[in-house]
Amino acid sequence: MAVPPANHAQAISPAEMHILVSRTGLVLNPGQLADLVLAWRQVAGLIGSLPRERPFADDMAMGFHIAPPALSPRPARGPAATAAKAVAKAAKTPAETAATTKAGANTATAKVKTAAKRLVAASTRIASKAAGAKRKPAGRTTKR
Amino acid sequence: MKDALAPFFTIAEAGRLIAAKKLSPVELTRALLKRIETANPKLNAYLLVTEQKAMTAARAAERAVMAGRKGSLLGIPLAYKDIYETAGVRTTAHSRILLDNVPKHDAETVRRLHEAGAVMLGKLATHEFAIGGPATDLPWPPARNPWDTARFTGGSSSGSGAAVAGGLALGALGSDTGGSIRLPAAFCGIAGLKPTPGLVSRRGVIPLAPSLDTAGPMAWTARDCAIMLDTLAGHDPLDPASVAVPAGNYARAIEVPLKGLRVGFLRRFHEHDVPGTPEMLRMMAQAAATLKDLGCRVEDAVLPAVSEFNAVGRIIISAEAYALHEATLKTRLADYSRVFRIRVLAGGLIRAADYIAAQRRRSDLIAAVAALFQKFDVLISAPVTGAAPTLAEQRPDDGFSRPLLTTVANVAAVPSMVVCGGFSATGLPLGLEIMGPAWGDATVLRVGHHYEQATGTRDRRPVF
Repeated sequence: MAVPPANHAQAISPAEMHILVSRTGLVLNPGQLADLVLAWRQVAGLIGSLPRERPFADDMAMGFHIAPPALSPRPARGPAATAAKAVAKAAKTPAETAATTKAGANTATAKVKTAAKRLVAASTRIASKAAGAKRKPAGRTTKR
Repeated sequence: MKDALAPFFTIAEAGRLIAAKKLSPVELTRALLKRIETANPKLNAYLLVTEQKAMTAARAAERAVMAGRKGSLLGIPLAYKDIYETAGVRTTAHSRILLDNVPKHDAETVRRLHEAGAVMLGKLATHEFAIGGPATDLPWPPARNPWDTARFTGGSSSGSGAAVAGGLALGALGSDTGGSIRLPAAFCGIAGLKPTPGLVSRRGVIPLAPSLDTAGPMAWTARDCAIMLDTLAGHDPLDPASVAVPAGNYARAIEVPLKGLRVGFLRRFHEHDVPGTPEMLRMMAQAAATLKDLGCRVEDAVLPAVSEFNAVGRIIISAEAYALHEATLKTRLADYSRVFRIRVLAGGLIRAADYIAAQRRRSDLIAAVAALFQKFDVLISAPVTGAAPTLAEQRPDDGFSRPLLTTVANVAAVPSMVVCGGFSATGLPLGLEIMGPAWGDATVLRVGHHYEQATGTRDRRPVF
């Protein structure tokens, strides 16, 4: 792919540098400004070397990876933890969800969605059981 | 045990002796502290020596050994680059900015090492916030290379390289964003592993550029790095970049012979892109021949030019480092070193579109490297162009003006290690870099281990 230098990466005038620095909010003395001019020339050259021509659709690299529920930072306790175990069992190993290819990432996303649905279902089942367990003794007491 | 020999034990040797109750962790730690007292003024490797804590930990380790506890790091004296947070122990990032910073918690990696019974000797020099470069306008002087104290250690894990090579610690923690573990490993003649991103937790490690930062072990041998990695690797749910992969038994995995391994030789990198010295070229050719002798199938391999990886890495590092430091730069600009300012301030001028263009290009380069690993199990290359330059030769703008060969692995998000590949005519170490596919850390360590065994480079220690 051709790598044409971008306009913004070409040599910069002192006036332009002052404008750029003023936008950063930094207050530089003349020595610091001179150092920055030299450093920026190097960085601008690197920026100019980056390829720019890409299809619009080719933009998946900037996505975030969301951890599946089984890997949530704060493991839940009680019924929710049981539900999380059920999800972990249902979903495959965490290593598999960490696939680095785009296809792998799509598969991982699908797995997370499925796991999330199962988590909701399992939580509901467990919550119902817990509620039922609480209600039963109360019912017996009433009979007595 | 003779005190003079103790600092030069490898972690594996010391661990075996401690487990057999033939070496006392207290005696070993005392010998290291004595060595630090006499040698550190020549190397400036340590910013802080935690003598009392070390002796307390060593006594606890000794009691544990006597009670029958086993562990490959039990009673092993280590030290940490001063960007690793340590509970109750000053953590400065070698900067005036954090002169009074005393963290409340240990970094996850430090916690794991301490849980395994390792003994912390102290905090090690770095380039300011892991990027600056050797600077003389900071509260501490730059570290010096044990092979020749007028020479550069490489950086930014400069103190880690100097301490391990000089016998001031049996192992150390470093960090690597563009080569900061592997460059000191190359110049100081030790082993250093930049693991696959996500394998080792970065929680509690002061960041430089979070999308490229990795934490990893540095030690005298690849085997010692593997032993450290056995403890360091593992999922940390509180580090969003940490990945839940099953931890490997790296120390065991390295023993598997190399016969049949497919090795790609990235010859063009050091012969054309960033030309090495004649003795570096000879060493690389010899390294390829050695791997062939070990049963590997070695063929030339080609990747995009080093300058392409370098541009992506530099832009991302500058932009992310500036973003992290922006608030402090506005209020305490003069407290940073000149080298740091030169390397980071330009990041404030990088447009969002340029930063994203760099990240997009990174995805292409990751794919190119991953594709090459369909054909090869590991890639070998030169991490540097030759032996360590002198400190006087270092320029503040080196970070931009000279492409770093090591940045390839950071941008490609693959594991990579440097081992001592050989020596120059003047007796200075020359590094050999070994890259593997993502999660191929065990294979990388295995190649490093067998190479060290075959070449005997671990028999020579610096005298200073």
